[in-house]
Formats: sequence, structure tokens, C-alpha cells
Amino acid sequence: MSLRFQRLILILITLVMFSTALLLILFNTKQNIIFFYTPTELLENNISLDKKVRIGGYVKESSFTTKSLNEYEFKITDNANEILVFYEGILPDLFREGQGAVVEGFLNNKNNIIASIVYAKHDENYMPASIKKELEKNNQWKKNYK
Amino acid sequence: MISLIGFFSLCLSTIFSFVLLMPSSILYMKIKYFLFIFRSSTILVCISFLSLILAYVTSDFSNFNVFQNSHSDKPLIYKITGAWGNHEGSILFWICMISIYGFLYSLISKSINDFKIIVLKIQSALFLIFALFVIFTSNPFLVNSVLVKEGLGLNPILQDPALAIHPPVLYLGYVGFSLVFSIAIASLLRDNLDQEWIRETRKWSMISWGFLTAGIALGSFWAYYELGWGGWWFWDPVENISLMPWIAGLALVHSLLMIRGEQVIEKWIVFLSILCFSLSILGTFLVRSGILTSVHSFASDASRGLFILLIFFLTTGFGFLVFLIKSPSKKNDLNLLLINKTSALLINNILMMIAVLTILLGTIYPIIIEVLTNTRISVGGPYFNSTVLPILLPGFLLMSIAPALSWQTNKIKKFKIYVISFLVLSCIVALHSYFTNFNSWGFIGLILSTWIIIASIISIVLRYKFSPTMQYIKSINSFIAHIGVGVMIIGITFSSIYQKEYNFNIAVGEEVTVDNQVLKLEKIQIIEEKNYQSLKANFSLEKKDRIISYIEPGKNYYPVSKMITTEAGIYHDWFKDIYITLGNENNNIWFIRVYINPLVSFIWFGFFIMIFSSVITVIKK
Repeated sequence: MSLRFQRLILILITLVMFSTALLLILFNTKQNIIFFYTPTELLENNISLDKKVRIGGYVKESSFTTKSLNEYEFKITDNANEILVFYEGILPDLFREGQGAVVEGFLNNKNNIIASIVYAKHDENYMPASIKKELEKNNQWKKNYK
Repeated sequence: MISLIGFFSLCLSTIFSFVLLMPSSILYMKIKYFLFIFRSSTILVCISFLSLILAYVTSDFSNFNVFQNSHSDKPLIYKITGAWGNHEGSILFWICMISIYGFLYSLISKSINDFKIIVLKIQSALFLIFALFVIFTSNPFLVNSVLVKEGLGLNPILQDPALAIHPPVLYLGYVGFSLVFSIAIASLLRDNLDQEWIRETRKWSMISWGFLTAGIALGSFWAYYELGWGGWWFWDPVENISLMPWIAGLALVHSLLMIRGEQVIEKWIVFLSILCFSLSILGTFLVRSGILTSVHSFASDASRGLFILLIFFLTTGFGFLVFLIKSPSKKNDLNLLLINKTSALLINNILMMIAVLTILLGTIYPIIIEVLTNTRISVGGPYFNSTVLPILLPGFLLMSIAPALSWQTNKIKKFKIYVISFLVLSCIVALHSYFTNFNSWGFIGLILSTWIIIASIISIVLRYKFSPTMQYIKSINSFIAHIGVGVMIIGITFSSIYQKEYNFNIAVGEEVTVDNQVLKLEKIQIIEEKNYQSLKANFSLEKKDRIISYIEPGKNYYPVSKMITTEAGIYHDWFKDIYITLGNENNNIWFIRVYINPLVSFIWFGFFIMIFSSVITVIKK
């Protein structure tokens, strides 16, 4: 093989790799991203039931019930609307009523969700920026959180 | 008092580094005095950090930072580690390390004095910028406005021995790239250099990369046994941003290998050096600003984020500007053939850059979307698994033979042996997959990893005569590193694809059977520890009627912060981990979840081999 031909192949390989990467990225951003809603946004938007979503807000006071040893039911609220959550598994350590939480899963119908993962607020001061913004907008933000 | 000393020495060291930046036309200094001022600045900032630790150890709650993050009941180790378990302390630690790296460079470097001074000047400029950030936005020496007898306590999740070692090692990695950055910029600012700076870049980038690897490994291990952090790798933003400088650093270390074949591309090395440090700062910005939602991020503050963003644009902008204006003009013809070492290294670098870009895109994509359309999304594991892994696949294939390639020709010695063993191996793996449950990712992972290991071993055996000397180990070092990657891929493939999960409800005295082994809940006990109450479920693990081990998952209750943490109980074995988490209790019946994680130990062992190999590269013959 001539030197020039070998280099040509190298350049071609590079181009192929680049375009494969690009295709993968484009394809996956369509497939594998999860949308995040507050309960109000969820009710306002029409979301198809076969899409994975995340819902963020507070765990509503006295909405938490234990169905069995590892099945739970609670409501996520943004103080305007609420969504009923079913969850089977071990809840995070910081999960409790009145605290911020994010659930991820598939919608059962418009008002309830079967969660596969529940995230709780990480420490006393921490709240995902996106939820904080939303709550500030509704004047629900407790000032003692930093 | 201690805090005052700390703050004073921090300010003094900042002023010193400012003095160092004076152009020689205004303030002419002999090299002796220059080095003296630089080193005393380092010592001062170390004193500052030590006094913060001292404030923590003595529980001096007149310091606001100590008040917020410490408690007099804590064991001594968490009082010390608490010093960097919070934002302010950790940034102080960060600048301390910037200075220490400069200090070490000034001691070790064999470059000519002029070059040394430029490097140290850039290093102290970086120090100055970050020191101002500490003083103005995250001062750990603020005075507590109220008199208190007790602190608020450290977040219980952080009360773990890993906090003592994971952040320092990780920071050593991140900050090490600051020195690489300084050397690169200095090489641009001074013309007519010999190749000494490339050798120095090689050494320091290897050191930083080694520390970064160790830091990531430790963090990964911590997240594996701490419940709620999603296992050893979660594709969480915080994890991704440590992966980006890691991959860029890997590309840098590899492209520096070309110095051996005298094929070095100075432009590319300088570019990668700047990129590595930029990615490190970008990581800090994204974590600290709270822009990204992550399970690992802690209290954050927007004004700090803005400041770090400013620092990021300043350093990166400056770096790339100098790069554009004064980019090295030396033309070096590359000996590119279809399959020789130069082209293999080139493809490796291209792949790694694509991987970095993909991760970066996935990590900041949510921010872009939110700004543009005001909807919030999250990009998680599935995206990264199905983009980054396929991109890296050809790289993995290439690395099996790359070190055996030649610089000059496109011929491989004893090519037939490689081909035959690859075919044999494929048959064996295919049969194995056929008889166990087939999974395409499992098949690919297994064949790649075993091929990397076997090809490396073949090359070692064929090319080098064994002798128990350092020289021998150094010459097969690249193969060792690649074997480490292979071992790690085996671990990753098995632990993620062949993981099994079981759920049980169990009472004291009952037994359950998991994977031919019997787990018996012996007892539940409550132990009072120094600053927490611990509930432990004691399981015995029996195999063939013989107790081989006890596993103790549990929950800890921390009265100071009124928090419960769940501690997984893990039985480690070379071939599998038995991982138990304790759920809720109802009428003395406990819910437990048991995972069988095969070959997880291979992941840690792979990390260990890679770190070992980077240590070998750094030490002298």
C-alpha cells in the first residue's frame, strides 16, 4: 500500500468514528432523556403514559402510608397540585414527610405514578436547583433553607 | 485566635503571590529571593489550612465554619476530615495544593531558571485567583456572630473513613493538572526550548492522572457501599465531570508517549494540557454552583458559581488565547502508516476526545435545554451507556495490540500467533455465552477484556526476556496498564450484567437460600457508639453446612442531626460480593434486599493495576 493510501484510510476511519458518535448522540438524546416536572406542570401538559418522567416537590404531610413491608404510597405536592406515588423498595434514608423528594417512573394515569426510584433531599441545606426555583416562584420556599 | 492566625497567613500568602507576579521591570528579583517568596507563600497557606484543622480538632465554635460542620461529640478522625468535608474548607485545601505543587516543582525541576520562574509565576497567578475566591466568597475563618457551646454537626453520610482519603486524593489529581497547565503555558511564552518541558509535563501529568484514578476509584468504592449513592458508577454529573479530565489526562499521557518515537506533536500536547485543567475547573464550577442536580452535591450558592465561572473563563480563555497567538510552529512530520504506533496513538487520542465531548454534551445538555426551552430534563445512565461505550469499543480493541506495534513499519512481529489466539478466544467466549444466558453486551465485554489481557500477555512473553529487574517492569509497563483495563472491564461486565437481586421478609432465626448459600438472621442488636446509635442485623452465611462469614447490614441513627443512614453489609469474595441492605420492620419481620454482584473485586483490582503502573512510570530507574 502506498503511503498516501494508508493516510487516506486513517482519515476515513476518523471520519467514520466521528459520524458514528454523532449519530449515537442524536439517536440517544431522543431516546434516553427523562423529562422533569412539578405536579402542576404534569397536570398541565399531556404526557404519554409510556414515557419515563421525574416529578419533584415535597412529600405531603400525613400522606405517607405503608402498604406492606416494602410497598409505600405517598403524595408529592408543590402546594398547588399533588400526585399520588406508589413505590416498592427501600426508601432513601432522608425520605420523610414535609421534605423535598424526586420520584422517577412511569405514569399510571394522569394523577398517579408507579415510581421505580425515589430520591430524597441530600442534606439539610440541599435542594435541587430546579425545584427550588419553582417553589420560589410559588412563594412556597422556606426561607431557612439556604 | 487560631482562626485569626489562619486568616492572617492566608492573606499574607496571597500578598506574597501577588508580589511574585510583578513584572521584572518594576520589581527585579534574583531567583534566590523569588523562590524564597514562593516557598514561604506555600508554607503560609499550609499554616492557614492547618490552623483550620486545629480549629476543628479543638471544636472552636467561635469559627462559623466549625460551628456549622462540627460537633464536639464526633470522633477525632471526623473532626479532622470535617475540615474539608464542606465547601469553604475544601476550597482552602484546593489552593493549598496548587501552592504545594508549585513548591514541589521548584524543588524537583531541572529546567533553566528563566523557564522555572515563568512556570511558578503562572502557578502563583492561579493561586492568587483561587485565593481571592476563598477570601471573598468562601472564607472558612468567619467569626460566629453568636456565642454557642455546641456545633451543628457534620452530615452523617459524610461520617465515613473514606472522607479522610477520597477528597484529598481526588484533589491531588485535579490540582495536579494546574501545574501541567502552567508548564504548557510557559512553554508557549518562551521560545527556543529544549525538550525538557515535555519530559516534565510527562512526569507531572502522570502523577496527576495516577492520583485522579485513585481518587475516582476511592469515590467509586465509597458509593458502592454507601446506600443511596447508586452503586459504584451512576453516571451522575459529579461522576461525569471527574471522568472528563481523567479521559483527557489519559489522552495527554498517551500522546506524550510519542516522545519516544520522536514523533511528538507539541501543539497537541499543549492543547491537551490546557484542556485537562479547564475541565477540572469546569467540574468544580458545575458542582459548586448548583446548576446541575446531582445526588452527590451539597449546599451550593449561586454567587460562588458565578465567581468560579469567571475563574473558568479567565484561565481557560487566557490559556487558549496564548495557545492561539503563540502556538508552536515547529513542523514535525509524522510517520503515519495504517497500523503503526503513531497512528494507533492518534486514533486513541481522537476516540478519547470524542468520548470527552459526548460526556460533556450529556452532562450540560440539561442546562442548554432549560435555557432554550424552559423544560427540565435529566440525562442518565442509559444515554451514557449507549453513547460512550460504543465510542470506546474500537479503542479497547486497539489497545490490545497497540503497545506491540512498531514506530517505523506497519508490520507486527509474529502476527499469526495473535490472529490464531484471537480466533480461539472468540470460539471459547462464544461457546460460553451460548451455554450461559446470552447477552450481547456481556459477549462484547467478555471478548474484549479477555482479548486485551491475552494479547498483552502474548506480547510480553514474545518480546521481552523475563528478568526480575526494574528495567524489565518498566519496559512491560504499558502492557501491565492495559491488562489492568482488561481486568476492570471483566469486572464491569459481570457485575452489571449478571447481577442478581432477591427480596425477602425475614424474622430472627429464619433462613433463606441465595445462590446455593444459606443466609440466617442470627440476631438484631443495638449498639451505642460515640455519636450515633447503631442497629445491626447479624446474618450468618453458610455454604455446605459450614459458616463461612457473618454479614452485618444495619442502620445508624445520629441524634445530633436526627438522621438515619443505612449501611449495607457486604461479604467480599474474589468472585462475588453478597450485598445486603436492611429495610423496614413490622411485627419483628424485616424486609431485606440481597444482591449477588459477581466479580466486583475485579473492578477494584483493575484500578489497582492501573495506579500501580502509573507509579512505575513516575519512579526513576
